[in-house]
Amino acid sequence: MPLDYSLLKTGNEISDQTYTLSKKEVDLYLEAVQDQSKRKFNESGIELSPPMAIAALSLRGVVNDLQIPGGTLHVGQEMGFKNSVQVGETLRCIATLASNNVRKEWRFMVVNLTVLNSSEHSVMEGKSTIMLPA
Amino acid sequence: MDQIRMYADASGDYNPIHIDEEFGKKSQFGRNIGHGMMAAATISELMAESFGTAWYSTGKMKMRFRSPVYPGDEIQTSGQVTKSEDITNSNHITCSVVIIRQNDEVIISGETSVTVDKSASDGD
Repeated sequence: MPLDYSLLKTGNEISDQTYTLSKKEVDLYLEAVQDQSKRKFNESGIELSPPMAIAALSLRGVVNDLQIPGGTLHVGQEMGFKNSVQVGETLRCIATLASNNVRKEWRFMVVNLTVLNSSEHSVMEGKSTIMLPA
Repeated sequence: MDQIRMYADASGDYNPIHIDEEFGKKSQFGRNIGHGMMAAATISELMAESFGTAWYSTGKMKMRFRSPVYPGDEIQTSGQVTKSEDITNSNHITCSVVIIRQNDEVIISGETSVTVDKSASDGD
C-alpha cells in the first residue's frame, strides 16, 4: 500500500536498516563513480570504505522504506564523517524525518541520517533534502 | 547510461527518473538524469586525494544540487581553500567546491571542511 506522506511527522523514524559494506559492494561503488583516487588503508593495513559509499548506503533505506516515488529529486545533502569505516564492516543506517512541507506541486522532506558501526559509534551524520511530486 | 545503471546497482536507488528511458522522456527534464550523489562523489574523491584519510574521519560536506547531470555530460570538479584555522596540533580547512558541466553551468555547489593533523604529511 502506498505511503501517505502527509501523515509523516517530524521525528518519525523512516528507516532503520543494517548493511554490510562488503569489498564487492565497495568495488562496484568505486567503478560506478569512476573513482581513480588511491585506495586508503588504516594502520593495520585494512582497506577503508570511501565516505561517499557510506553516504550512499545511508540513503538506501530512505529510498526503499519511504517508497520514494519516481520523479523524486534530491536537492540538498549535508554529511559529516566521524570515524573511518573498514571494508566489510556492518553498519546500521537510521533515518528520521526532520521536516515535511508542501510547496506548490512539491513535497519537501528533510531527513536526518545517522550511521553507526557495530560498536554503536557514529561514523556519519547527515541530512538529505528531497522533493517529491505532491 | 551504463554508469548510471551501475550507480543504481551500487546505491540501491532505482528511481525511474535515472534509469527508465520512457519515464525520463515524460519528466520535466525530457530525458533521464544521473544521481546527484554520483556526481557529488567526485568532490569526495578530490578531498580524499588532497587530504588523505583525514577526509574519511573528519570530513564534512554541504551541497546543493542546482541542476541535474545528464547522461553524456562532461563534468569538472574543483575546490578552493577559503579558510584555514589553526587549532592545537591540527588545521581546520574549509573549501568551496563546485561541479560544472561542459557549458559551465553549475550542477553542484557547496562547502567542505576537514581537520588535518599538523604532523601528517598527506593524511595517509
